[in-house]
Amino acid sequence: MDKKIPVRLAALPAALMLATAAQAAPVKIALLETLSGPQASTGQSFRAGVRYAVDKLNAAGGWNGAPVQLVEYDNQGGPAGASDKLKAAIADGVQIVVQGASSAIAGQITEDVRKHNLRNPGKEIAFINIGAEALELTGEKCNFYHFRLTGNAQVRTKVLVLGMKQAKALGSKVYAINQNYSWGQDMEKAIVDNAAAGGYVVVDKTLHDVNKIQDFAPYIAKISASGADNVLTGNWSNDLLLMMKAAKAAGLKADFGTVFLDQPGNISNAGDTALGHFIAHVFNGEAGGAEGARFVADYAARTGHHPVFVEPQAAFAIDMVADALRRTRPVAGALDVNAFARAMETARIRTPMGEMSMRAADHQVLLPLVVSTVAKDARYKVDGTDMGFKPIKVYSAEEAATPAQASCKMQRPAA
Amino acid sequence: MDTLLFGLLNGLIYGLLLFMVSAGLTLIFGMMGVLNFAHASFYMLGAYFAYTLQHALGFGPAVVAGALLAGGVGAVVERFFLRRVHHHGHAHELLLTFGLSFIVAETIKLVFGNFPVDYRVPPRLDGPAFAIGAQQYPLYRLLMGGVALLMFVLLYLLLTRTRVGIIVRSAIHKPRMVEALGHNVQLVFTGVFAVGAALAGLAGAVAGAFYTTSPNMAVETGVLVFVVVVVGGLGSLGGAMLASLLIGVMTSLAVSVDRSLADLFALVGAGAWADSVGGLLTLKLSSLAATLPFALMLIVLLLRPQGLLGEKN
Repeated sequence: MDKKIPVRLAALPAALMLATAAQAAPVKIALLETLSGPQASTGQSFRAGVRYAVDKLNAAGGWNGAPVQLVEYDNQGGPAGASDKLKAAIADGVQIVVQGASSAIAGQITEDVRKHNLRNPGKEIAFINIGAEALELTGEKCNFYHFRLTGNAQVRTKVLVLGMKQAKALGSKVYAINQNYSWGQDMEKAIVDNAAAGGYVVVDKTLHDVNKIQDFAPYIAKISASGADNVLTGNWSNDLLLMMKAAKAAGLKADFGTVFLDQPGNISNAGDTALGHFIAHVFNGEAGGAEGARFVADYAARTGHHPVFVEPQAAFAIDMVADALRRTRPVAGALDVNAFARAMETARIRTPMGEMSMRAADHQVLLPLVVSTVAKDARYKVDGTDMGFKPIKVYSAEEAATPAQASCKMQRPAA
Repeated sequence: MDTLLFGLLNGLIYGLLLFMVSAGLTLIFGMMGVLNFAHASFYMLGAYFAYTLQHALGFGPAVVAGALLAGGVGAVVERFFLRRVHHHGHAHELLLTFGLSFIVAETIKLVFGNFPVDYRVPPRLDGPAFAIGAQQYPLYRLLMGGVALLMFVLLYLLLTRTRVGIIVRSAIHKPRMVEALGHNVQLVFTGVFAVGAALAGLAGAVAGAFYTTSPNMAVETGVLVFVVVVVGGLGSLGGAMLASLLIGVMTSLAVSVDRSLADLFALVGAGAWADSVGGLLTLKLSSLAATLPFALMLIVLLLRPQGLLGEKN
C-alpha cells in the first residue's frame, strides 16, 4: 500500500499533461506587477481588480472552452525586474501581459514586447497597460501590441478642470506641482494647456523628486506665497498625502485638484483637510446609478471590500480584453495574438459609467471619467471615515477625449 | 523676507527631526562600531507603537511608551542577536541588521496593512503657533523642534557630565580596561543600543503623527539618515547635529530658488546658448532639492572623508 502512493503521484503530472494537450493550450495572462517593495500597495490594488475580472471572465466560460489562466509575477518595482520577469513569462507560454503601477516599467515592457514580436514572428505577445499614463506610451513609443486601458494626463486634466469649474471651485490663479518624471511632466504641460479652458493663469509650477521628500513645508510656503486659489497636481502616494498634510498644517486654504486622491489611506490620514478637494477618476459608484451600485455590491461580495483607487479601472480593462477574446477565433486550438490585437482595436464595452472603446489610431482607450469632490454626504464612505467621493459630473468618453498624438505612427502587421 | 524666514524655520525644524533619528545611529556606531542598517526600522516601530497605544494611553504617554518599546526591542536585538555575531566581525553585524530591517518592514505590513495608518496630530496640538501675513506656522513643528533640542542637550550632558557618560566613553576606547575596573561592558553596550533605538523610536512617534506612518517610512528616512551620519562624521553627535541642520536648511531654501545653471551663464551673456543646450543647464535648482543632500555627501566624502566633525583614524 505504502509503495503505491509514489507511483500514483508520479503519474499525476503525466496525466495532467495529457489532459492539457487534449484540451489545447489555454490562454495565459501574466500579471507583471509591483507586488513587493515600497510601491507594492499600488501593485496589489491592480491585482485585486484584475483577479476579480479574470474570475468573472472564467465564470462566463473562459476562452475556447477553457478557463483563462492568470499567472502572477513580481517585477519588484523596477524596469530591470520587469524585464527579467517578462522573459520568464514568455518562457512560461504567456501571450498577454498586464501591468499598471508604473510608467517607467510600462516603458520597459512595451519596448521589450516590441522587440520580442519583431524577432519572434508567429509567437507574438500583447501588452495590456492598465494604469501607466505617461503620454509617450501612446505617442513616440506607441506600437501595435500595446493597449492603454486607462486615462492619461491630458484627459484627466481636461475633465478635472471642467468639473472644478462647474462646481465653481476653480479660481483664477492655479499652482501646478508635480513629480519630476514622465507622468508629472505630462501633467504640468496639461495643466498649462488647459488654462484657457479653465479660465485661470498658472502662477507658478514646480517639479520635485518622486517619493523622496518627507517635508513638504517649503513647497507649501512657496504655494502660499504665490497666492494661488487652487493647486493642481498629478502626485500620488506619499507625495500627495504629505503635501495635503503640510498644507493643512500651514493653514493653506487652496482646494486641490488631483488624480490619485482615492488611494486608500489618503482620506483617513488627511482628515477634514481633504474636504472640498477634487479628483478626476475612472469610477464612482454613486455616479453610476443602479448599475454602479450593482458593480460595487458584486465587487464587495467577491473581494470583501468596495472597489477603490485603481481597482475599477483594472477590472474594466480586463473586461475589454474579455470582449476582444470573445471575438477572436482560435487557430489550431491556440490564441493568435495578431488576431486578438486586431480585435482589441475594436473592443467596446459598457461599464456602469458609460461606453468605453479602444481608439485604433494610437491604442488609447476612450473612457468616461468622473469628477468628484470629497464630502461627508457621499454615498460610499472610504477608509472607515465619514467622508467619501461625491460625484460632480460624469464626462462621457467623447467629452473627455483629446486627439491622438501626431507622434504615434502605428505599424500594423500584414493581415 | 517672510519667505526666507519661513524657509529657514522649516529647514531648521526638519533638520532637528533628522537629528533625532540620526543621533541614535551615530551614537551606536561611535560606541560599538556597528553600522546599524535597521536603525530606521526603530523609527518606524516607534511610530506604529505610539499609533497603537494612543487610544488606550492618550497621545503624550503613547509617544513616550512608543520610544520605550522601541528601545526595548533594541535591547533584545543587541542582547540576543548582535552579541552572538559580534565575534564574526562587522560584516556579519551589518548583514544581520540589514536582514532585520526587512523583517520589521514585512511584519508591519502583515499586521497593519500596506497603506498609511490613521495616526494624526491630536486636535489640541493641531493649530498654528503664529502667523505672518497669510502664512501660518504649525505649533506641532515647534514642538518637534523643541523635543529634538531637549534630547540633544540631555544626551550631551549625559555623555560629558555624568559618571555613566565617562564609563560609556571609556568603554569605547579601552573596553578591556573598563572591564578590569569592574564595569559590565556588555551591559553598557546593550544600554547604548537600547538608548539609540529609543531615540529613533521617539523621533518616529513624534514625526509619524505629523508626516505619515506607513510601511515605507523606514526606507524613506533610512537613506537620508545615513547621509546625515556620513556628512557629520561617523560617531560624532555634534557632527550629526551640524549635518542635520545643514541638510534641512539647504533643501528647504533650495525649494524657493527657481534658478538654473542657464541663469548663471546669462550673467556672462551666454544665457541664450545655455537655454538652447537645455538638459542639465536648464534644470531648476528647486526640482533638485531632495537630491542636494546626496551631492553634499559626495563633496564631503571627496574633501573630508572623515566627515565634518569626525575623527581621523
